[in-house]
This record gives sequence, structure tokens and C-alpha cells, in this order.
Amino acid sequence: MEGQSKESKPFNHQAALLPVSKSGRRNFRFTTLTMLLAACVLATGESEAATDAKANLDARHRALLQKNCEGCHGAEKQKGKFRLDDLSFSLSDNSTADRWQKILNVLNAGEMPPEEKKPIPAAQKTEFLDELSNTLVAARRSLSDQRGVITMRRLNRREYANTLRTLLGADIHVSELPGDTMAPGPEVVFDTVGSNLFMSSNQIEQYLSLAKDALEDAFERHASRSIEKKLHVEAEESLAGIQKEIASQFDGYKQFHRWSKAVAEAAAKPENQPIAAEFAKKKADDAFLRKNWEKISGAPSPEEFGFERKRELLNSGAVAAERAEVFDKNSRFHPYYNAYLAMPKLDTGSYFTAPVFLGAPNSIIFALKSRYYISIPQNWPAGDYVVRFRVAATENATPEDRFLEVGIGRSFQTAEWMATSTHHVDGTMESPQVFEVPVSIRKTSDANDRTFFIRQKGAYYRHEPSTAKQRNQEKFDAALKRNGFGLEFPLWLDWMEVERKVPSEREIPPGIKALNDIFFDEKSAPPTEEILRDALGRFAKEAFRGTPVRPAYIDRLVGMYRGYRAEGKLHGAALKETLAIVLSSPPFLYLAEPVSDGIRRPLTQQELATRLSYFLWGTAPDASLQNLAEQGALSKPEVLLVETDRLLNDERSLGFLRPFFQQWLVLDRLDFFKFSRKLFPDFDDGTELAARKEIFETLSHLLRTNASLSDLLKSDYVVVNNVLAEYYGIPGVKGDHFQKVPLPSDSPRGGLIGMAAILAMGGNGEHTSPVERGAWVLRKLLNDPPPPAPPNIPQLNRLAEKVLTPRERVLAHQEEPQCASCHRKIDPVGFGLENFDAVGQWRTEDHYQAMSTTGKPIPKAFKTWSINPAGALHKGPAFRDFFELRDILASRSNSFARGFSSALIQYALGRPCGFSDEPLLDAMVEQASGKTFAVREFIYALVSSKEFHSK
Amino acid sequence: MNANSPLNRRHFLRSSAALIALPALESLGFRRFAAAAQTKAPPKRFIFLNFGWGVTQETWFPELNQPGVDYTLPLGLAPLERHKADFTVIQGLANKFSMDGHSGSTFWLTGANRYAEPGQNFHNSISADQVAAEQLGRETRFTSIQLNGGQGIEADGHGPGLSLAWDLRGKPIGGHNSPLETFHRLFSNDKTSPEKQKALLAQKRSLLDTVMESSADLHRGLCKTDKAKLDEYFQGVREIETRLSKEEQWINVPMAKTPLVEPKPELAGKEEIQLMYDLMVAAIQTDSTRVLSYRLPTASFLKSLDIPVIAHEMSHYSPGPKMEASQTRDAAHCNLLAGLLDRLKATKETDGSRLFDHSTVVFGSNLRVAHTLENCPTLIAGGGAGIRLGHNLVLPKGTPLCNAWLTILQGSGIQVERHGDSTGVIKSLQA
Repeated sequence: MEGQSKESKPFNHQAALLPVSKSGRRNFRFTTLTMLLAACVLATGESEAATDAKANLDARHRALLQKNCEGCHGAEKQKGKFRLDDLSFSLSDNSTADRWQKILNVLNAGEMPPEEKKPIPAAQKTEFLDELSNTLVAARRSLSDQRGVITMRRLNRREYANTLRTLLGADIHVSELPGDTMAPGPEVVFDTVGSNLFMSSNQIEQYLSLAKDALEDAFERHASRSIEKKLHVEAEESLAGIQKEIASQFDGYKQFHRWSKAVAEAAAKPENQPIAAEFAKKKADDAFLRKNWEKISGAPSPEEFGFERKRELLNSGAVAAERAEVFDKNSRFHPYYNAYLAMPKLDTGSYFTAPVFLGAPNSIIFALKSRYYISIPQNWPAGDYVVRFRVAATENATPEDRFLEVGIGRSFQTAEWMATSTHHVDGTMESPQVFEVPVSIRKTSDANDRTFFIRQKGAYYRHEPSTAKQRNQEKFDAALKRNGFGLEFPLWLDWMEVERKVPSEREIPPGIKALNDIFFDEKSAPPTEEILRDALGRFAKEAFRGTPVRPAYIDRLVGMYRGYRAEGKLHGAALKETLAIVLSSPPFLYLAEPVSDGIRRPLTQQELATRLSYFLWGTAPDASLQNLAEQGALSKPEVLLVETDRLLNDERSLGFLRPFFQQWLVLDRLDFFKFSRKLFPDFDDGTELAARKEIFETLSHLLRTNASLSDLLKSDYVVVNNVLAEYYGIPGVKGDHFQKVPLPSDSPRGGLIGMAAILAMGGNGEHTSPVERGAWVLRKLLNDPPPPAPPNIPQLNRLAEKVLTPRERVLAHQEEPQCASCHRKIDPVGFGLENFDAVGQWRTEDHYQAMSTTGKPIPKAFKTWSINPAGALHKGPAFRDFFELRDILASRSNSFARGFSSALIQYALGRPCGFSDEPLLDAMVEQASGKTFAVREFIYALVSSKEFHSK
Repeated sequence: MNANSPLNRRHFLRSSAALIALPALESLGFRRFAAAAQTKAPPKRFIFLNFGWGVTQETWFPELNQPGVDYTLPLGLAPLERHKADFTVIQGLANKFSMDGHSGSTFWLTGANRYAEPGQNFHNSISADQVAAEQLGRETRFTSIQLNGGQGIEADGHGPGLSLAWDLRGKPIGGHNSPLETFHRLFSNDKTSPEKQKALLAQKRSLLDTVMESSADLHRGLCKTDKAKLDEYFQGVREIETRLSKEEQWINVPMAKTPLVEPKPELAGKEEIQLMYDLMVAAIQTDSTRVLSYRLPTASFLKSLDIPVIAHEMSHYSPGPKMEASQTRDAAHCNLLAGLLDRLKATKETDGSRLFDHSTVVFGSNLRVAHTLENCPTLIAGGGAGIRLGHNLVLPKGTPLCNAWLTILQGSGIQVERHGDSTGVIKSLQA
């Protein structure tokens, strides 16, 4: 943060700005004129669009076709009506590309040459497939190059939500809007690319309904902006209930035995001889007798011993005595109750206890608490709240016991509980510690969304409750053996509270401010038409980001308001309906940069402000940006760079950082599978959360300190919190916040491929996938993406039952040219990363169990082997281990920087980065490399480029 | 004159009003008393079901060397045993332009070439269900109903799209995501009086005029491609207007009554599919619509079956747990499908015939397995399109899927000459 951005100057004049009109939106007509003039300049400069040499197939392949194909598909014969001797090697139109695609497909599928003909020698075929598939990718890219034309786009889902937050201060759920990404396969198409953002009638209706939600939320926040709320709960308040429950259970335990004995005695009486004989056939035990007590003459009813016949909490039809029976079966936990009640400070707090009883029916009878909840009452207004709790670690707490997880939700469905933060407890019983967790409550938040839990980290696994239960049970049993009562009580809770934060006056959002002299509620008198008209005009102007508001539009809005009133709606409701129309109108929903056909023009100042703001914040420009635009100053290079830094320094730049990297690095993959907690108990919910956060915290660190992009390839530090430091085995890291921590020189961490979450993505939660990992490294780090997985390739099922190491398996792969052409590049890199397991921990061994066709493990078909990471990049340098591989990758900063720049261009401009962007790419990489790839330098270069300033 | 001025749009609607025929009285609540006067044959219906990530190819397809009626039902179709005479499995179909190994439904009903449009990296065209809806949807309250249980690529193997349906311009059509939402769309009754409803409709029309007014200047100032983008919005507005016109025509006809109760929210996987099928039958039974499509969920379906395998990985199965998962999925799907067919058979039309006799149910995917896009799994049931049932129909490899769509469209009386990349109807599929 500390003014690092100042270092960014001097401004690189290679990418100098074009003269842009200084007039802002006040002089719209004048601007348009100058724009047209400037546009001509631009248009001539642009006419020589780059064409791509990579979309040409090398002529040397002609011989292969002549020899193997043209006998049937040449000038004389055209089997299948397919002729290829006249096929152009320059893939410059779609029909040529389609014909080559067909050739690629039949070769990949092994359909050609037909079986009776001589096959193409494997090595030749591999080379040919390699080149053809890459040429086709280049051709498709070239043919779909928009040549710098940016398609107008609507706000995507997240920008829509962000913009409503900026305009109204509202927080809404937008998940009901359809998703924005339409791209299939591994190629990244950002959610900013206009040509892929569609609109439908359903969506228009959803916008109307979401806008109403947003307005309700915003009005409530505004109306309650000075309302303070606080709820404080002392943990010891639960003690009385606990004591009562324990006492009744101990009592029930005794009563149960009495009743059980009485039933057995009755059954043994002579008059019950016949029925006892019948029971004996069914191997009757005491439980059986109890269940059938009614058939036993003289047996007492459970009610006589104080049991209700039915208890709602238990399975319907169950006799309450069963509750006692469960209790009886778990009698080994009784000392645990006694130990708890003997703990100190129960009069001022409460302990987190072992969640061994997770899952019905045991959890129902468990009297102690393994998690604590606090809820924000439903009638408290929307707004920002803080959850606070005071906790201490007892002297029994081991280092791993000292973590708490906080999350949202209360439900018996453990799967729904997701931790949102973890906290290390340093506080002691003498000096407990207070934690604060900020939370946001929407008007629409239901009881579940308003409830917050605290629990010990690792006690629950969101996706695998049964594994957690088993693990807890084992730990409990081990403790029972050790101390005679069970798990010690490591953490103590003093109190919990929730408090509403009151926003300061200056935080009134612009959309609300625009309505300033109108009341939102139903109590006050409705505004006069004049006041209403003015307010609607101001609101629309604010919402439309510079698109002029037509007076006729305001007339119609006023008419709509009247119409809603005529329907019988009160003022507040009618106003909301009317404003929702503004928020569903195209000038709000679309980022419009009007331009005539065939003309390229520089952006107006206002458009530039909007483009910059949506790029770096993902939301509408703030007042400072708009003022600079109005003054015509924003496009001045020095002003623009100062603003760029200001935006990047603001926490709203998360609105760039998260979506950009999430999409570029394809981090969604982490959500597509669950990690086996059985195989990897240490990778629990809290650790997984920290591992995911590490990626963004590291990127955030880079952006904040303007560090080198190359740090993502290799660095001598990591950005971790205490949870992840423990997971990585880095000692001495204190605090729940993410922080820069130096690494010893022999650490495998440091850089993206040392991160647990990145490594975990290259697997399926159980096993690693060298192919996924290798392909990811090629795509992202080396900027050398393999072509998309071809359709219709036969699977290699014959290997399924073989006991092979992955390496042996790959060699088998490479017998097939259609596999080898890509996998010879992908796999070596993947194997270089095999020292990391499926959750990113270091290992030196792996094993494989072959499965039969029925899915059973084949006995003796089990193999353990030492990992051999050695390999070589295809046609590149060799490496002996992971560290050497990492060094090779670290030496490719230029490639990485190019891939990063290309992604930035697509994201920022909202169009694919085409071959025509090569000069811009060159300029960005060059400028950044002069600054040791400082990450902001890429952004400076881009926002200063002609492309960024042109429509 | 601005083509988007309210006047012109209204004119457009008036001229197309002929397409929006009055509600057929034999439908809905009027069914019983209208039955006596009924002479018209029951209408044709379509149900399109797509299951994203393909099937288990070894156990789903009947043997190629057992063409015709005397084929052994493979393991994957075993739960359909009781319906064996009432469906046909077609082999050899493919969309020749399909290249995306992860798109099980994007081009399934369209047969489009993704690269057909120079300067763009994505293109699609109208889907077969929408071709049918254009004609069959005129007489029902809902032109067509799209259900969407799939969330796209990795989880469900469907590829780009919002449902199975693509409109005339090749733009994705949104769908209802949950049984609850679908239930409300189809059966929620508006308690307001017809007069009030008319006033509300008028206000909704003004709303549409207002949003159009906001961008009149903007529209004029845009270049062609940007105009085309804004036109998507305008088209959306027009669709809402068409819907409103339809609603107006139907104001005096109460919403269909259904024996179904309101579904619970947040149903997923197997339960969701089950309920969606129930809702489909109810929608047809009440003649609320005649064309339905459903993009079936995969990830949540596996979860509901307690299969701990990632959907995408399952489609790349090899013998072992993944293949078992794939087979379990196949069987579970066929079980649900068998239930749907049962209900279509059990439910009677006003003339006493079965819904099944007038419906066409298509069950398939553009993906066979892994990234394989040929011999797309295709199963067609029902008597609506006059096709030959009970067959294992083995066609030459690479027969356009669109030929199958053309055959069932024409077989159901839809006026259509060709569809997608069709080369003609499949004669051997016609009864």
C-alpha cells in the first residue's frame, strides 16, 4: 500500500494516447464531431490488420497426404466425395478449415487410412497431427478474430450486482440470473466478452424483479441507517439446560434399567411360559422383550417408569425408552458428562465439546455443545453487522485444537454448513481473546442466512460428515483410554454478540442521494409531480452512466408511477416499481459506446471513465472519476495513471482481481469435486478454505505491492495464514490474516505451482492427474495451450486391469499417434509435479490398485513405487526433479507475461484477443519487462494503449 | 420511422395476432363439458430430454448385429423392459459439425456449425423443439416450456446454453430451474379479477414502452453489431408482449388445475427429475403447452444416487468404480424414463386414447461417451409422430441427427422442409 504505485512512472510514451476531445458529456454534440475526425485517423491506422502465419500448414506435409491419402481422395478418385489434392494449405476461410477438421477427425478416430491400407508411420502421423491440430486452433482463432471491434455488452451478473451496490448500497442475490460464460472447453472466454453475453425475455423479467429486491434492500438500509442494534449472549446461559438434561438422562438411565429388569422378571414368571417359548424361537433378548412388553402379562408399561410412549425427536413410533437405550449403549460417555460438569468457569462460560455424537439419534441425546450459534433477529434491518465472540484455549489445548471455524447457517444437514473463516485462539483462560467477523445481512436473508456458528476446526467435514464422525470417535476413544473420560475440553467460550454497524452520513450512495427530497415510506405524503419528475430524472442520469436521458422517457416513468398508484399501490411501492424500470432499461444494463458503422473512434471521457472503472472495479465509476471525465482531464496520461493507481489501491479492486484470476486460472474447477477427507484428514474444511484464499491473497499482495508477475512462477516467500502455514510446515506464523512469510531456499512452496489449491485442481480429490496438471501449466504458465481434447478418440480400456505406474501408462499412450501428438508435451510436466499429492502435500511415494471389470480391487495387483519426477519439456530442457522443473518455468517469464497480457486484453476490452492484437501484446510485455514484470506495469500499458481508448 | 416505436410494435403484434389463436375450449377446465362436442383429434406433443454426459456405451446400446424388433435389451435399458415395444433406439446418428467434446446439448437439437459466422467464435440456430412450438404453441397458454436442471459444462456436460432451446436467431432461451418455479409458472392461479388483470396487463405494456423509450436515441447511434446486441433486448421485449397478448386472450380462462401439490423448494437430482416429469405430464394433460424440453442434471443426479464420482470423470470411465457409476446412472435414468412413459400411458385424452399415443418423447444426448460425438444415444418413444416403435434401428454411420428431428417433426404434422443439416427424413423410422 505504502505509495508503491508512485514508482510506476515514467509513463511509457510508446503507447501514447491519441488526441481526445477534452469535452465531457456536457458538450455531447461537439464531442461527436471531434470524434468523427479522430475516427478517420484511427480507421486508416487500423486497416492493415495482422494476418496469422500460424494458420498455414507447412508444405512439407503434402508428401504425407500424397503418399497415404490421395490414392483414394485425389484428382482421379474421390472416395466419400472427399478430395484433398486441391486443398489449400492456407486455412484462410471456414470451408477450408472445415475440410481440414474432417481430416483431423478421421485420423484421430483411426478411421483413415482404412484397415486394408498401409497405416501412416507413427512418428510421421504424430508430427502431422500435432501440427494440424495446432494450425486448426490458430485458424479458428484467426477466422473468429473480431479485428479489434468491441461488441457492445450488457453488464454481466457480478457487474450488475456490483453496480447496484455502488448506485444504491444494496446487496442482492443474483444467482437467479443465468450464468454468463458460454464458452465450451478449456479456452477461457471471460464474462466481459460482449458477443457472448445474451439477453432473453426471461432475463428482462428477472432484472425487474431483482431491481425491486435491490430497492427494497437499499431503502431499508437507508431508512435504518442510524439504527443501532446489539445482541449479547453469555455462554453460561446454556448451563442450566445442560445440567437439567444430563440429570434427566442419568435418571432415565437408572429408570430404564429398572423397567428393563421388571419386564424380564415378568417374562420369567410361570404364567408367561407359553409366550416366552414363542419368544425363545426368535432369540429374544432384553431389547426384544422390552419391545414386546405388552404381550407379557404383568409387565409394567414404560410410562410407569417415567418414559413417554413417543417422543417427537425420535423416529416416529419409537418408544421413548429407546432414548434411554441409546443412552445405555453409550454409557461409556457418562464419565464425559461428569468430567464436563467438573470443569472450572462453567459459571461464566461454556466449552466446545467433542462432536462425537454427530448424526441421529446420538446427537439428539447429547447434552453438551460442540458448536454455538447466534442469530440476527429477522426483524432487524438489512445492513452491515459484526459477529463477535470471546474465547480462550485451556491448558489442555494442543496446537491443532486451537483453531475455530465460523460460518453461516443452522441446519441438521451438515452438508450445508460451510466455514467462511478460521481463527487461531491465542487467548488464555486468564486473558481470553475477542474475535470479530464482519457480515452483511440482506433484506431477503432468511433465518438460516442470519445464523452464525462457531465450531472447532476439523470437527466437521462439509461433504463427508460420516468420515468426520468416525475420526472424532477414534480421537475420543483414544482419549478415553488415556484419561478415563474422553476428549479434553480445549476451548472455552465466554460470550457471543452481534452488532449492527451504523454507516457514516457521507456513505449515502449516489442513487439514493439523487432521490433526496422524496420519501420512501408510506407514512409521508407523496411528492408533487414536479418533485417526482426531477428526482426520477436525477436517478436515471445517475443510473445511465452518461447515456443521455430522454425527456420523453421521464414522462413515461411519471406515467408509470401514476399507473401504479391507480392500481392501488401506495407511494413507496409505486416508486420502487418505477425505479425498477430504470434499472431494467438498456442504458443501465448495457455499456454503450455508440459509433457508426465502419468507424473507429476514441472514447469520450465519460466512456473512458466507465471502461476503466468496470475494468479495475467491476462497477460504475465513482464521483471522482466522473468529475475528472466532466473536466475532460481523465484521458491525460498522467491523470489516467494516477487514477489507475487510485482504483487499484482501493479495496474495490477486488472486483477485478477475483473475477479475472478466477476465470483466467480456471479456478472454478475446485468446485467440481470434493476432497476425500478419508484419505486426507488434514485437508479439512478450514484448510481447504485457507488454501483457496491463498491464491487470491497472493495475487492481492502482488497487486498491492506492485511485485513481479514472475513471483507467480517462483518466489522466496508465500502469503499464508496460520492455518496454511501449519499445513505447509512453516513454523512461527501467527495470526489469522494472510501475510508474507519468507521461505527457506529448499522449500517447494512459492509460486502458483507450489500452492495446495492449484495442485489440488490437478486431481480429483483422491488422485492426482498429471495430465490435468501438465495441461494447466502449458495453458497458463507457458502460454502454449494444447489443442482442445479431440472428439471421437478411442479409449485405452485395455490398460484398465494392468498394474502400471502412471509413467508406464503414459508410455502406452504414446504408442498411439493421436494421443502422443499432445501428450508428449503435457505429460512430462505433469510427472514433474507428482511429488505433490491430490491435496498438494509433498510425497515421495505413490501406489496403485488395479480394479477388475466389476470394479473390485484385484488381489496382488497392488503396486507401490517411488516417485520419479525426472523428465524433459517436449523439444526442451531436461529436469531431474520438481525444483529443476520450477526453475525452467521460472525462466519463461516472457511466455507467462504474454499469456497474462492476452487475458488482460480480453478481460478489459470485452472481446477475444486476436492476432491483430500482437502489437499491443508486444508493447505490454516490453513495457513490463523493463520493470521486471511489475504487475501494475501491464495494466498501465493496457489502459494507456490506443485500443483501450477506442471504440 | 423507428421500427421499435410502440405503434409499430403493436402493429407487428396485430399482424401476428392471427398466430395467437383463441384458447381451445376442449382444454383445461372446459374439458369435461366440451368433450361431448369434441370431434377434433387430440393434439400432438413433444418432450425432449437430454442427459449431458452421454451413456455407458458398452451396456446402453443394443447389439448392432441385432437390428429390428428381435433384439436383446441391453443392461442400460433394462428398466424399460415393459415399454420395449413402444420405443425405438436409433443408432448411427450424429451432428456432423459438432466438435466440442464437452457439449452434450448445445447443438443437439440444432445441428448448427459453431463456426458458421466469420468473425465470431460461436454460432447456433433454431432448435427442433422451437420449430415444433412455432406451430403447436399457438393454441396453448404457453408456447413451449423449457426446464433446466443442468448448470453447463463441467458439472452436467451440456455445454453452452440456458436450456435445450435456441430461438429463431440462434440465441439461447432460458428455462425454469426448479420444480417449484415450474409449478408456479404452470399452475399458480391469479386471484385478481379479469378487469383488474386487464389493467395490470396494460400497465405492463406501458412498462415495455418505457424501457424501449429509454434507448431510442441510443439505438439510432449504434453500429450494426451493437444494434444486433440491443436488438436481443428488444426481441425480449417483443416476446414479453406476445406473452402478454396471449395472457390477455386467456384472461377468462382460469389457470389449469393440477392434482399435483406445490413442490418443495431445493429438490435436487433424482427427486427433481421425478417431479419435473410429473409436471411435464400435468402440463400436457391440462394442455397448458404441447412442447417441453428438459436439460437433465448430472452432478446433482449422481449426488442423489450416492455416487461419489465427478460427472465429467465418469464420462471418461474405465472398468471400475467410474464405469459402475456410469451404469448406475444409466439405469436410474431409464427407471425415471420408464415412469414417465407409464404416466403418459395411464393418462387419457378426452377421446379415451392415451397421452402416449399423441406424444413423442426423445431421450438422448449429443455426446455418446467421453468426447465421442458420433452414434449419439437416441431413444424415441410415443405414438405422436407415427414412427416405427419397438426397433433397434441401425442406420449408416453419420446419418444426420437432424434427419431424425425432421422425421418426427413432419410425422407430427409440423410444416417443415428441412432442419439444421438434415438431408431428408429417415424412411426406415416411419411406421
